[in-house]
Amino acid sequence: MGHIAIEQVRCKGCGRCVVACPKNLIEYGTELNERGYAYVVFKGSPEQCGGCTLCAVSCPDQGIEVYNSRDRKVFVNTTGLTEAMTHYCPGCTHGVVHRLVAEVLEEMGLLGRTIGIAPVGCSVLAYEYFNFDMFEAAHGRAPAVATGAKRARPDRIVFTYQGDGDLASIGGNEILHAANRGEKITVIFLNNAIYGMTGGQMAPTTMPGQKTTTTPFGRDTADTGQPLRVAEMLATLQTPAFIARGTSHDAKGTLKTKKLIKEAFEHQAAGRCFSFVEVLSTCPTNWGMSPNEASDWVEEAMIPYYPLGILKRPEAVKA
Amino acid sequence: MSKVLMKGNEALGEAAIRAGCVHFFGYPITPQTEIPEYLCKRLPEVGGVFLQAESEVAAIHMVYGAAGAGVRCMTSSSSPGISLMAEGMSYIAACELPCVVINMMRAGPGLGGILPAQSDYFQATRGHGHGDYQCIVLAPASVQEAVDLMTLAFDLAEKYRNPVMVCADGMIGQMMEPVEFRTEGRGPPMAENDWALTGCEGRPRRIVNSLHLAPEQNFACNVRLKEKYDRAAREEVRFEVYGDERPDLLVVAFGTMARISKSAIDDLRREGRRVGLFRPITLNPWPYARCRAAMDAMPVGAKVLDVEMSMGQMIYDVKLAAEGTRAIEFFGKAGGLVPSPDEVAERIRALLP
Repeated sequence: MGHIAIEQVRCKGCGRCVVACPKNLIEYGTELNERGYAYVVFKGSPEQCGGCTLCAVSCPDQGIEVYNSRDRKVFVNTTGLTEAMTHYCPGCTHGVVHRLVAEVLEEMGLLGRTIGIAPVGCSVLAYEYFNFDMFEAAHGRAPAVATGAKRARPDRIVFTYQGDGDLASIGGNEILHAANRGEKITVIFLNNAIYGMTGGQMAPTTMPGQKTTTTPFGRDTADTGQPLRVAEMLATLQTPAFIARGTSHDAKGTLKTKKLIKEAFEHQAAGRCFSFVEVLSTCPTNWGMSPNEASDWVEEAMIPYYPLGILKRPEAVKA
Repeated sequence: MSKVLMKGNEALGEAAIRAGCVHFFGYPITPQTEIPEYLCKRLPEVGGVFLQAESEVAAIHMVYGAAGAGVRCMTSSSSPGISLMAEGMSYIAACELPCVVINMMRAGPGLGGILPAQSDYFQATRGHGHGDYQCIVLAPASVQEAVDLMTLAFDLAEKYRNPVMVCADGMIGQMMEPVEFRTEGRGPPMAENDWALTGCEGRPRRIVNSLHLAPEQNFACNVRLKEKYDRAAREEVRFEVYGDERPDLLVVAFGTMARISKSAIDDLRREGRRVGLFRPITLNPWPYARCRAAMDAMPVGAKVLDVEMSMGQMIYDVKLAAEGTRAIEFFGKAGGLVPSPDEVAERIRALLP
């Protein structure tokens, strides 16, 4: 059947692939790689592996390549990302979403005419990972920077990649008005319900009762309000837009999210409208969970409050 | 070319287009609002981009995006709005991108008032945002000079890849004067370069970034910027000397206050008094050596009077120029009050023997 190649040095041992494999052919390892992570190992035989690619789809670190029964690569790492190994914590799904964006742009043949904008937050170094022209913006200002770049170069593909502190808190005004103007940009919004880079403070998206370093007794909504549903809020605007929410916590959700990201860039490429994809993601480190517990928490705590799907499409394509 | 009668703000808008700037991002604030109002009509005529941002914060970051994408671009605002732009200007300077920012100064602090002032001098010349960066600052004293300095502003912004501030006051923005444009039509676009983000087709990718987590790398950036500012200090100092060459009293003033001081000086010279003016046109880099030379040319016991529409901000640069060789007197009004020529003349008379 198929087989996989795990690049040991890239593996952070998060085990997302262990959970993703439908045949339980990957297990946690005990050997440490040169970066100090216990990398996962493929314990199956080629006869057992179906080459389904779900392990590679789940991997945040570009660490798995998948071959089919004829030894042909069926999961190839995208050229839209650099070779750099990310600084993200094990089990954080920023790497997954980076890959989805890069894959979509590569598949659409857009890498050479894309300008990306990195935020402030955990993904501040996204410019090191995306393999095309990149800005690094001030905290929350990425939609304004994108507006300037897109208005200057309307024939280029311009997108922002922002987290929830950046977009939903300090950058609330910039995202609202970029959406309302109908800027022909794409916004990829990672919602992990916490400030990651600064060490786990409350975000506007933090769940009720969720413990963070600034809500040590759990988020009290009487004091700090309810979690902000940015996608829903933007979907109320009268300006045509594509607004959707996906998730990156499991392989199935990740594959669906890729479709949403692709549609978002298609709307931009057609010059149609503002496009926005919120992606639920995990922060095992600051949630105080293992990577797989974190994935479960997205499923149990976040998705019921942040439902997945397309919230808004431009009228012209609805039919 | 014939002269036209134009309001300062509108003339600045036209001057920007003639200088090849057809991308404008701004937010309304008195007393500069006629700049966006003029450009929103004119820019579509020349195939340009006008965008009213949701805030000054957004406006300056739109400028960051447009400048980084390699187009000649600008914004304009007035004092409280410029405060909000501090963040973006720090990023633009750190990323070494060119842009022009007009500040039609109004009275402060806080909401202050909408009348002219020069009380953003510290803000303009001392970096204004966070970090070790500077803006090149040009201070016009008339509508004509404001128009002429716009072309220079874009030239310097691109030569040094740094924000350039045209620091005028509400008086220059609001008054109408005959003005001559030296060029016609829409000026040329920014030259091709090796840093703009345009999509990496056919070349290595580029990054516009100001994050340098390694201190050595950040220090290298600081050093590179400082070398640039030092070079500007050597090559770009501009100033005007007016009146007596060996005066008994030298007025140091900029912008509108220099112009008012000239009237006072003219009156006093008609009375037979020897009075001169030193007017910095570049507020940063400041013409220390030339101002010192003007002071050194004066007779022993001659006075220096710094005149500003503030509580005294440029006076520290005048003192730096004097290096303790002379006492520096001060006369100024703030809050939107503009000293008249008679008031300046009266103060000068009181200082002269």
